[in-house]
Amino acid sequence: MLYEYGQIGILLVIALVFPVGALVTSWALGFVRIRPKNVSNPVKDDIYECGLRTEGPSLVQFNFRFYYIALLFVLFDVELVFLFPWALVFDKVGWAGYFEGLSFIGILGLGILYAWRKRALEWRL
Amino acid sequence: MNGIDVAGPQIAVLGAAGVILLVDALVPQQRRLLPFIALIGLAVSALWTISWVARDDYQTAFGGTLSLDHFSVFFYFLFAGITAMVVLASIDWVNREGRGQGEYYALVLTACSGLMFLSAGRDLITIFIALELSSIPQYVLAGWGKDVRSSEAGLKYLLLGAIASSLLLYGMALLYGVTGTTMLAEIGETIAWSGDANRSVLVVAMTLLIAGFGFKMAVVPFQMWVPDVYQGAPTPVAAYLSVGSKAAAFAVVTRIFFEALGARFLSDDWSNVFAVLAAVTMTVGNVMAIVQTDIKRMLGYSSIAQAGNFLVGLAAISVAGGEFTLGASGVLFFLAAYAFTNLGVFVAVIAISQKIGSDQIRDYAGMWKRSPFLSLGLAFCLVSLTGIPPTAGFWAKLYIFNAGIRADLTWLVVVGVLNSLVSAYYYWGVIRQLFTGASEDSTAIRTSPSIGLSLGVAAAGVFVFGILPMPLISAARDAAAIFAQH
Repeated sequence: MLYEYGQIGILLVIALVFPVGALVTSWALGFVRIRPKNVSNPVKDDIYECGLRTEGPSLVQFNFRFYYIALLFVLFDVELVFLFPWALVFDKVGWAGYFEGLSFIGILGLGILYAWRKRALEWRL
Repeated sequence: MNGIDVAGPQIAVLGAAGVILLVDALVPQQRRLLPFIALIGLAVSALWTISWVARDDYQTAFGGTLSLDHFSVFFYFLFAGITAMVVLASIDWVNREGRGQGEYYALVLTACSGLMFLSAGRDLITIFIALELSSIPQYVLAGWGKDVRSSEAGLKYLLLGAIASSLLLYGMALLYGVTGTTMLAEIGETIAWSGDANRSVLVVAMTLLIAGFGFKMAVVPFQMWVPDVYQGAPTPVAAYLSVGSKAAAFAVVTRIFFEALGARFLSDDWSNVFAVLAAVTMTVGNVMAIVQTDIKRMLGYSSIAQAGNFLVGLAAISVAGGEFTLGASGVLFFLAAYAFTNLGVFVAVIAISQKIGSDQIRDYAGMWKRSPFLSLGLAFCLVSLTGIPPTAGFWAKLYIFNAGIRADLTWLVVVGVLNSLVSAYYYWGVIRQLFTGASEDSTAIRTSPSIGLSLGVAAAGVFVFGILPMPLISAARDAAAIFAQH
């Protein structure tokens, strides 16, 4: 038992040494003057975006309606996750399984109905 | 199909929540029917529970994760009743607020089903999911109001609740790691079988569980959120939090600690922890309540102090020897009495504060002349909170302190009685304001039928169980007896 916790202890030590080591090293390098005088240029100061050149400012406002769309997307994404296993065993679960699946889809259908009636699907209010 | 039957009370409540959302979305002109749909759903749930009592065929479902027994049936009735009272007390406020009426009742009902699942869960995963099912709607409800305070209450409750959930989950993970199962009964068996080999890990797990549920039970030192959330949240929601989620947390703590952690070498530990927490919680809650000028904050601290009283029952368990369940039945009886009493207080506060537009205790002066009904109801329930006959609160305190004495916790009972004296000071302060203070405004306050009904039911419950406590006590004993096979 204790031996197994020892392995976690080694992980803990590494997890501590790594950031502390990085901080100490960068602090120590401050005393070694190996940097060139002029270190700044426009390309270097640019935002790093996976190597692509950035377009426009980074403080862009998103329409809050994406929030509804994202919520609905998650809902139906999760629905699909549950429907795939149902589809796989569809021929084995019989009528009971069929109606359980139907009621699940039905409840989610009511969800769409609710979202539609509450005008969550309209882009403009 | 059997599982659906066993979970019927919860499904009825959830179904009502769905119907409410649909009615709200499809026929918005019929909005005033929404609270009645909620009440019908709760009535169906209670009838379903009654049908199980009549069948007298208690059983488990979903692989033993959901248990229908005397204990969960007791709480099904309690939660259906609490939620019905909260719905009744909310009608005025929700109508005035105007927006999101369907969502409000749907969230209240969803939280109710979560509370019911919580009291019936016999598996750590079921318990955790039920806890989230009841908590998440309550976070939303706490932030329902449009003012900054309500938003602050919602956010504070959400953040602290998330921390508490993670502590709880960590404790559950440790329990699973030691025993290799999430079923409470099997955890208990494994611990009994393996003895105290893993005692240190179990103690850590136990501490984390107490911390996680301590947040919901609102015991010191996990009580910081209570006054702020009660003050900021809409008053009906504060009433719901103070009674519903507290009762569910005590239910699940009782079940976990008795069924899974009931082994002698552990129960000695946790009953000591609960005894110390009880003393600290009562004292801090009562002392802080004295200096409050806002009645909702005062009720927040008073509910912390009452949680300390419940803890006496949990502490009185292991040392009681033969009468293992005396403390547990005391907790259940106290919870039911407290539910009636505290809901009565909150309903009266809702009615009065809505009319006078203030939560300050000094603005309650002279309320006796403006509304005798509300004043009498509020005063009677406050008397019950103090624990003076002929009220349910008196028997609750007597019963739970008796359990404490039998368990050789005399010091704790002395602390409890002294604290009752302290609490009398601030409860009677409110009563004095009601009856003797003078107010410049003397217009009569008219009580709406729904508020009147819920306050009447609460006060009648406090009175009837104050005169005839035996039916409730025997129900609590039956419920606690499921743990007696140890």
